[in-house]
Amino acid sequence: MAEQFANLFEGVWWSSYLAPTILTILLILAITVPILLGVAYLTLAERKVIGWMQYRKGPNVVGPFGLLQPLADGLKLFLKETVVPSGANPVLFLIAPMLTFILALIAWAVIPFDDGWVLADINVGVLYLFAISSLGVYGIIVAGWASNSKYAFLGALRSAAQMVSYEVSIGFVIVSVLLCVGSLNLSDIVKSQAGSGFWNWYFLPMLPMFVVFVISALAETNRAPFDLPEAEAELVSGYNVEYSAMAFALFFLGEYANMILMSAMTSVLFLGGWLPPFDIAPFTWIPGPIWFALKIAFVLFIFLWVRATFPRYRYDQLMRLGWKVFLPLSLFWVVATAGFLVAFDLLPTAAQ
Amino acid sequence: MATITVKINGEEHEVEQGMTVLQACEQAGVEIPRFCYHERLSVAGNCRMCLVEVKPGPPKPAASCALPVAPNQEIFTDTPMVHKARNGVMEFLLINHPLDCPICDQGGECDLQDQAMAYGRGGSRYHENKRAVKDKYMGPLINTIMTRCIHCTRCVRFSAEVAGVEEIGLLNRGENAEISTLEKALDSEMSANVIDLCPVGALTSKPYAFEARPWELKKTESVDVMDAVGSNIRVDTRGNEVLRVLPRLNEDVNEEWISDKTRYACDGLRRQRLDRPYVRGEDGKLKPATWPEAMTAIAGAVKGMKRDAMAAIVGDQADAESVYSLKKLMASLGVANLDCRQDGAKLDATTRAGYIFNTTIAGIDEADALLIVGSNIRWEAPIINARIRKRWMGGQLKVASIGPQVKTTFDVDYLGAGPETLSDVASGKHPFAKILKDAEKPMIIVGMGAINRPDGAAVLATAKKLADDFGMVKDGWNGFNVLHTAASRVGALDLGFVPGEGGKSVPEIVDGAASGAVKFVYLLGADEVDLTGGKAFVVYQGHHGDRGAHAADVILPGAAYTEKNATFVNTEGRVQLARRAAFPPGEAKDDWAILRALSETLGKALPWIDFDGLRKAMREEYPHLARIDDAEAAEWGDFGTAGEMNAAPFKSPIDNFYMTDPISRASETMAECTQTFVLDRQSEGTGTNG
Amino acid sequence: MASLDSTAKSFLLAELLSGMALTLKAMFKPKHTINYPYEKGPLSPRFRGEHALRRYPNGEERCIACKLCEAICPAQAITIEAEPRADGSRRTTRYDIDMTKCIYCGYCQEACPVDAIVEGPNFEFATETREELFYNKDKLLANGERWEAEIAANLKLDAPYR
Repeated sequence: MAEQFANLFEGVWWSSYLAPTILTILLILAITVPILLGVAYLTLAERKVIGWMQYRKGPNVVGPFGLLQPLADGLKLFLKETVVPSGANPVLFLIAPMLTFILALIAWAVIPFDDGWVLADINVGVLYLFAISSLGVYGIIVAGWASNSKYAFLGALRSAAQMVSYEVSIGFVIVSVLLCVGSLNLSDIVKSQAGSGFWNWYFLPMLPMFVVFVISALAETNRAPFDLPEAEAELVSGYNVEYSAMAFALFFLGEYANMILMSAMTSVLFLGGWLPPFDIAPFTWIPGPIWFALKIAFVLFIFLWVRATFPRYRYDQLMRLGWKVFLPLSLFWVVATAGFLVAFDLLPTAAQ
Repeated sequence: MATITVKINGEEHEVEQGMTVLQACEQAGVEIPRFCYHERLSVAGNCRMCLVEVKPGPPKPAASCALPVAPNQEIFTDTPMVHKARNGVMEFLLINHPLDCPICDQGGECDLQDQAMAYGRGGSRYHENKRAVKDKYMGPLINTIMTRCIHCTRCVRFSAEVAGVEEIGLLNRGENAEISTLEKALDSEMSANVIDLCPVGALTSKPYAFEARPWELKKTESVDVMDAVGSNIRVDTRGNEVLRVLPRLNEDVNEEWISDKTRYACDGLRRQRLDRPYVRGEDGKLKPATWPEAMTAIAGAVKGMKRDAMAAIVGDQADAESVYSLKKLMASLGVANLDCRQDGAKLDATTRAGYIFNTTIAGIDEADALLIVGSNIRWEAPIINARIRKRWMGGQLKVASIGPQVKTTFDVDYLGAGPETLSDVASGKHPFAKILKDAEKPMIIVGMGAINRPDGAAVLATAKKLADDFGMVKDGWNGFNVLHTAASRVGALDLGFVPGEGGKSVPEIVDGAASGAVKFVYLLGADEVDLTGGKAFVVYQGHHGDRGAHAADVILPGAAYTEKNATFVNTEGRVQLARRAAFPPGEAKDDWAILRALSETLGKALPWIDFDGLRKAMREEYPHLARIDDAEAAEWGDFGTAGEMNAAPFKSPIDNFYMTDPISRASETMAECTQTFVLDRQSEGTGTNG
Repeated sequence: MASLDSTAKSFLLAELLSGMALTLKAMFKPKHTINYPYEKGPLSPRFRGEHALRRYPNGEERCIACKLCEAICPAQAITIEAEPRADGSRRTTRYDIDMTKCIYCGYCQEACPVDAIVEGPNFEFATETREELFYNKDKLLANGERWEAEIAANLKLDAPYR
């Protein structure tokens, strides 16, 4: 397909630059537009799911079943005034939400939607993802500092400490997966889980790590019950308290895009990416990206479900959980996995 | 008096013989409910609320208000018998009393309401129709809702005993009993006191009808300035509005009565007020101005003015602080043309005994002969009139009068109309001279009508001679009294606000202003002088757009007596404090502050920056003004100028009791009273009795 | 044994999972939401909503300006001025309620001796400006006329318990 596309520009001397550029832009749009749509409907899904779990109906007035609610929300935010507080640093104040939003999107470059369906099939995909998701904290820190507000600042500090804490255990969880795969390429990770069905996926042999990863993902995305950075009860919405209109919308989009990203990561690492749950006839007819989307949706549902169920953690409980439970547990698991693989000589041979 | 021992609820108490059981209990601090009993009225004993059990005695409850104490008596106020009796009486009273407390003006300050809470049942057992009584007319001040009446007859006794007008009575008997004035307005200057006396809402205030509830009002204790008695009053305000004036107990001055003018002129405080400065423009019309503009206009007029072309007059309601400020300001300008005697009274400021009511009001209770010279006391000072009547009722006081023949509330010998009669009495030729001579504590009251005439000084000297000759001044007794009509007068005389060396008095200032000799006149609330058409530049500082303001070139809006903290000295020389109950309207300011600001503009800044500083300075210079509520005895001295008295009869200085000052002239209620009690009576006089 | 039990429970996330099971069950239960502007929940006869001044059936206003409601109002939201009407009866010339101050405690209707001031069943009186919430006598009387049927019915229902 890429070659046919390149042939359209045959004869133009700079066609060797133009075609890949246009193609890349189109591909990027093909990824980001569905993601942004997904984000929009994730907000609706969140309100609906939490509503149902609280014996409510959720938004149901704008459009059929409230389906136009995200558009109405978006329109409202778009039409509002962006207020920059007089004491704020205006440049950083406006850069912060952009940073959060951009970082949430560029990570998608390495996510494989199907065999070969990946924008940048780099061999250090996991590292790239890890790096980008770690950078996410800057958006929040910058926002908290630039707002020149005590609530925003406290929220930012909490956020930084929280993300740093949980990144460590996430790292070990990923390492234990990588030990089994023998590659940092995300497509390879998915392929290594291929087999006759879902029992080949990593979530089963590494169930504790799967749980640790999902919980850490909640903390990493500042989701309930770890949403201390924006705790409305004490910090009146935390780092984004001074934000309004589109600046706020960008934070909002970024946060939800991050949620989808973490769900995608969970799917890739533990739930077999685009693979169908049973490698037999009716399931194999359904294309891989659909399975991938369904898995993402399932993990997202867990996110919402957790939010509807549990109250917010206290800050010291959050830190205790990160450092005293997850870190030793994941460290132990890395050692145990490595020991097991070496002992039984099951170490994967490098693909190349 | 001999004391006896009685037992009240088992406790022994020493009480005076001759007291009633109720008084004894009150002295012992035991509360006894009552409706008809009032300590200043005779005992009626018809409400039966004060029932107590007494031993020895018949085995039934006794009315404590009418029962004298006896030695070794045992009194019980808390036994089942007493409770049953009180509950029964209360239930009987409530049988015919309507349940209309929500629309009753007495609600919240009603004796019946309070006592029903304490002694009444929870509900009524009476299912028959209640009695209804037609409301009566009692004049423009008193509203009647006679269905509420419980026939305590306090109002009947008040009008007969204190007011001295037997116009209220109880008609019929039993259930048909009704209080009535036979549809006549109650013709007394103190009529509205029946409203305070009424223990229920049968008699309420007409001008104040439905205006406010007692719990909404801010209460400020103050003194009255409508006459020179200085009645103690309580000013009730809501927001910044004075809604009513009530009497305050002071045994030495007004007991617990006040005159109708004192009580009802307060609606004049809302009308005709000066609420911003005015300056007369080129076209001769007064135009609203700012304070700096008004001050600059005055400074411009004063600039280069010769000191003997300037003058200042203090009005009848000025407080001592502002008089003192004005005096100091004028002194710094070197002005000697100062006067506080607007009516031209020939009073001498040098001897205090020569211009105060030396006997004091309470002292009247000891007098046994009284000569009134040139005064209609009933109008000039109704409270003093009531005291004289009280003494006269006791039967020990003989009263004679020289001057206007007026309706009084006690028997008076009219000796004559003018100075001739006074000379006759003074020289001992007149029969009344013997009565005065024989009296132990004789007194003379010289009214303003006798001394506000050109020969006033001679009349004063004659009166002094009379006082000396008849032994009115002796140890522990000074029977010489001057009765003032202006609240500010004694204070201003104390402060020496009289013409200085070569200074002009009020008539001379007025003449000078007309002729052009006086070019600048400062009026501190002086409304009784007529400067219209004169050539002088007139500054009027005051609170009402009255006569003084009409003639003014610059008007400085000041505060009325309810709107400032101030010192007033009454006719006895009693120093009393008025307190601020409301704030002056609009841009009007405290009088002392206006004078302080003016002194600054004129470059002669007065040496104080706040009211406390001013008061301190004044009290340092005049220490007696610091002795509040004290009527200091003055040293007897020489005053008055002996001379020829002309034959013209004495005239009362007041020809309409209800309108004597800017506030009462602006009052609607006082206008109604004038119509009812003065104008209608006059037309009656010319129409039917001729 | 018990400690083993609790350790096992905590490692198997038993409490977390039971909590999540509860919410999951709730998700499929019937919902309580009512479609507000079109459907409304039930109101007690004692519901304390928007104020109204009532009239007698013959059209005479009930309020007699006794000011008890003004006195009892804990938020001091009521302002009353009174004077005698032409026929001599006691009536208000001003009866203002500042609905932005009012805390809807209902003391005013408790205090009222003639059932004149009542808190009616209406709760839909939001306005676009604060000024519209400063109710005067005309507005309150108009409310009374508008809601009289409901108010009278509610008072009748509540009467046995007063």
